[in-house]
Amino acid sequence: MLSSLGNPRQAAAQLMNFGLILSSAFMMWKGLSVITDSPSPIVVVLSGSMEPAFQRGDLLLLWNRNLMAETNVGEIVVYNVKGKDIPIVHRIVRKFGTGPDAKLLTKGDNNAADDTELYARGQDYLNRKDIVGSVVGYMPFVGYVTIMLSEHPWLKTVMLGIMGLVVVLQRE
Amino acid sequence: MYSSIVRLQNAFGFFTTVAFVVAAFIAASDLLSPRTPSVGVLKTTNVQVVRGRPHYYSHKKEEYAIIKFSLDADLSSLFTWNTKQLFVYVTAEWPSAGGSGSGQNATNQAVIWDSIITSPSADHLANLGPIAMKKLKRSAQGKSIDPSRGKLSIKNQRPKYQITHPTGKLAEQDNVVLRLHYNVQPWVGILTWNQDVDFWKWKTFKNNLSKKFALPALKKKDEKKAR
Repeated sequence: MLSSLGNPRQAAAQLMNFGLILSSAFMMWKGLSVITDSPSPIVVVLSGSMEPAFQRGDLLLLWNRNLMAETNVGEIVVYNVKGKDIPIVHRIVRKFGTGPDAKLLTKGDNNAADDTELYARGQDYLNRKDIVGSVVGYMPFVGYVTIMLSEHPWLKTVMLGIMGLVVVLQRE
Repeated sequence: MYSSIVRLQNAFGFFTTVAFVVAAFIAASDLLSPRTPSVGVLKTTNVQVVRGRPHYYSHKKEEYAIIKFSLDADLSSLFTWNTKQLFVYVTAEWPSAGGSGSGQNATNQAVIWDSIITSPSADHLANLGPIAMKKLKRSAQGKSIDPSRGKLSIKNQRPKYQITHPTGKLAEQDNVVLRLHYNVQPWVGILTWNQDVDFWKWKTFKNNLSKKFALPALKKKDEKKAR
């Protein structure tokens, strides 16, 4: 089983293979980032504030270019608030003005009130630049793995261990 | 050569491939079902502008508009096997002072009313109390698709949201128009909104505008209400 460890050439090839997988995954992520013009083109839903449309763990594909039209009322957007590092997925319900300075107000479909209280202190509206992207695609449940991993950190160790073991034990 | 780990890997890989291909087919099947949404009536029934605090967290008094409306629309063709929910919303749109036109050129847009219409297969996800939930589930017992839920007939509806403007001024605003929109949320695939152009079997959403109206002058009634 561990014969590959004895053969430096084979071990090196396996290391290369592993590196190739990692780098191509990274390239695909960054490539998607360039195509969609969004720093984070795929996000996992973390809260239930957009239920019943989105549940925790659902995967969303974002689009951040305004090719045909401006970001408008009714679109579901992911935005960041200054001083808070968790992106929020909510729907735009009001828009005053046009262009990059338009004032946008968001609200979760499942929330009774709009998001004024979620924004930074003294901030009443969002601008276009606060938005990371508009939701265009939906895939249920697939992202639940990442929620599991971030809520139970020991799973990360277990997974890394299994992956390492597989790489070592795998024979070409 | 074929250790159990490799077999496990292959089985998992095959499973994900199949799952993704099936999901892609389901998403693509949306294109095959025609969408012919239509609007019968969309009109305002009562419009008021009041000065006060629209929310408990408003830190200043401002003018806000209460627009009651009636709506008659048939969105039943939007309910297919891949429809999870339909999000229907009515916006009020008005040009800014000095701006021109309405519709897509409107510079102010605010949702005054919205409604989530779940497909029967997504009823269990709706945020409802136990009695309303029971009623909702019974309304489509044994059906996984219920197009009749897309038939909307609403008379003199109170708005869910009182609209404001950052300037705090709304009274006597001209050229206000109501517009009906929808957003189809699929079980898997692409989110879609009402269209302005035909796209193969998906038809344009026509007549979804109300007549232009003006917001009335400020109503002087809440003077005694103010603390």
